[in-house]
Amino acid sequence: MKFLTMGLLVALSTGAAQAAVQPRIQSPAPDQAVFGEVDVSVLMSADEPVTRVEIFVNGVRRAVLTKPPYRTKIDVGDDNSAREFKVVAYGASGSTGTHTVATDAIRIDEQMEVRLQQLFITVTRSGAADSARVLDLEQDDFRVVDNGKPQEIVTFGKGEVPITAVLLLDTSESMQGERLEAARRGASVFLGGMRPDDEASLLMFSDRLLRVTPFTQDRGELELALAETEAVGGTSVNDFLYMSLKMLDSRIGRRAIILLSDGFDVHSVLPIEEVLWKARTSQSLIYWIQLDSDAKEKSFNSAWRDHLGNDREYQTLKKTVEESGGRILGIQRIGELEHAFASIMKEMREQYVIGYYPTEFKKDGRWHKINVDVKRGGVKVRVREGYVDY
Amino acid sequence: MTDRGISRRKAAVALLLASVSAAGWAQQDPWSSAGVQVLDSSGGSNESKKEQVDRIQTRYREILSAWVAGEVDRAPDDLIELEKGVVADGDPKSRKRLLQSEQAVIHELGATSLEVLVPIAMLHHEAYSRLLSRGVRQAPLAVTHARQMARDLAILYNQQSGSEGSAVVASRVLTSLGGMLMEHAQQLPAAELFYQALELDGRNVPARLALATVYEKSAQPESAIKSLRELLKLDPDHAEARFRLAMNLKRMGETVEARRILNEMAAAKDAGWVGPLVYQELSRLYAEGEDWADAEKVLRNGLGRYPDHVRLHLELASVLDRRGSFGEAKTLLQKVVELPAGSGDSERLLYNSVRPETFLEARSILEDNSRSRLSVLAQALGTPAAGGEGGR
Repeated sequence: MKFLTMGLLVALSTGAAQAAVQPRIQSPAPDQAVFGEVDVSVLMSADEPVTRVEIFVNGVRRAVLTKPPYRTKIDVGDDNSAREFKVVAYGASGSTGTHTVATDAIRIDEQMEVRLQQLFITVTRSGAADSARVLDLEQDDFRVVDNGKPQEIVTFGKGEVPITAVLLLDTSESMQGERLEAARRGASVFLGGMRPDDEASLLMFSDRLLRVTPFTQDRGELELALAETEAVGGTSVNDFLYMSLKMLDSRIGRRAIILLSDGFDVHSVLPIEEVLWKARTSQSLIYWIQLDSDAKEKSFNSAWRDHLGNDREYQTLKKTVEESGGRILGIQRIGELEHAFASIMKEMREQYVIGYYPTEFKKDGRWHKINVDVKRGGVKVRVREGYVDY
Repeated sequence: MTDRGISRRKAAVALLLASVSAAGWAQQDPWSSAGVQVLDSSGGSNESKKEQVDRIQTRYREILSAWVAGEVDRAPDDLIELEKGVVADGDPKSRKRLLQSEQAVIHELGATSLEVLVPIAMLHHEAYSRLLSRGVRQAPLAVTHARQMARDLAILYNQQSGSEGSAVVASRVLTSLGGMLMEHAQQLPAAELFYQALELDGRNVPARLALATVYEKSAQPESAIKSLRELLKLDPDHAEARFRLAMNLKRMGETVEARRILNEMAAAKDAGWVGPLVYQELSRLYAEGEDWADAEKVLRNGLGRYPDHVRLHLELASVLDRRGSFGEAKTLLQKVVELPAGSGDSERLLYNSVRPETFLEARSILEDNSRSRLSVLAQALGTPAAGGEGGR
């Protein structure tokens, strides 16, 4: 009995000591990639005076701070690797507290994302149908201007650049029956056009996530997923368009989202403005196969938004698609779906892919306007309108 | 009661008792009149019509007998068959014929006791429910008839009884009917029923919640707020009402109070089915003020409670993107891909309507009251009841 009491006292005393000094690393953040001079910032919670804070990187003590603010810069080197940041804080009574944060290495494809700007460019003859593509241009025929400054083109490709696509299919209740079957056939046509190096993910949604596959080159796996989904529930375009953009963040190649939906978002938690912001920091094309595009009534109230809010969402979705360099394919009859999917695949194969390293890259959140000119006259160029430097 | 409410009731009763002599019902017991004469559209007697009316009345009595005998599956279907057989969608007068025939039977039975109206209303309510679930388009006039019969019988019951209990029962009939309308996207007629239900019983919480939801969906946040504040006086801990109040306050730009309510709900951790929505929308409130740190904190707390919630993962990923933590955002998305598909986060869909569960209380009160009066109806019909059981 005496032993138990003592044990309890020891436990209480230990608990009090642990709570007395508690550091927390605010910066760098977990999973962030860091190199060079890193700002290390420690938030302190203490019931007694703190006498010393030691900062370790990969087990090596790199700094000792004796008074607040507990913040310093540490040069961790330029190698692209994961690192462990650990702080140990000492209280006046001898108590200690620690906190550890692990940072990531940058993957090669992420490096490409933040430095190399890739443009997917569709060139058509002026005044002709959108399908009248100009396919015989070479690198020297293009001029890229970023925020008014000409850029050096460092990569140039045509149809040989692999495609990475998310097929984002609205399978809400309104898609039941023949519409879902037609959507499946259309998506299947797209998958049928994939080449061995292409990859795709299938994401089917309603008001919730119904099915998502990892990126794969296995067409059979995608076809299987396509066949297994039912049409239920409401519609949340924004949430799952955001998810698709995020999924494409770390992929390489010609990235695209093919959205099939009427576009009337009712249930998303994310406003379309948030998706637009994401799209502006992404390099993905967005194609929207818009069902019921001739529907006269596009205005509606819901418990989440009034009709003005819903109208804004709808208009901003259109803007998001157009800014990305993709386009809207209006569908009045479900029989047109297969052709729509096929034409997107064809268009992507006929795009030029140009890469450049922007001469100004400040990560300051500013909008960079992109202009692409072609030396040859009588042509029309479609490309994303710009990006947020972030 | 308002003038509008009185006139509505009078209109409903007048419709039901259209064939009773005008001098009769206001001053006397309307059920004491001797029979009802059914007229054809020209106002004159017609032998073939009379035969038809007799057939309807006989069949109606048989169905009521089946209902009191406990044939709860068959009786509503038989009633639907009878009513669809009489009512022709292209001929509005056919509904009048049906109405008058059924009224005559109800009139006779009601002469013994007003209480028979409750199980008869329940039978029509059940028929309406089944018709709706089978699709309104196949017999729109019969659907309307079923709903109006249930509604008018409830109003008449309360009008003639005048007791507090009859108001509660009638109010629940109207609430349940309104709920069914709402499930089928008939917002305005549903609102009318909820409004009437509240006139009968101001303490009817489901009707108040449903009416607030209709206001909310009709972009009338001020009215929704008023209704929800009334509801919260009756039930201060009603989580859904508190959440809806916060959302409507946000719409009105009153974000400080909205945030206070949501923070209280998040801290209390007893928000029921709206729990995940509390975290989602509280985080949005912070995000809209570009307070990304608090937005992140809220979502992390939310994921602590709902670790497999897809939408909370997505929303946190978007906040982390804004904060520049791309790596962690990506990790979160990878987790979403691995989560079970469709995993229980359709709260946003539910919020856009009224959950069927909201109306269970109304139905339950209705069923209990109907069941307890079946023996009275059996006695009036001169048939045995199913041992006091049966009916809905």
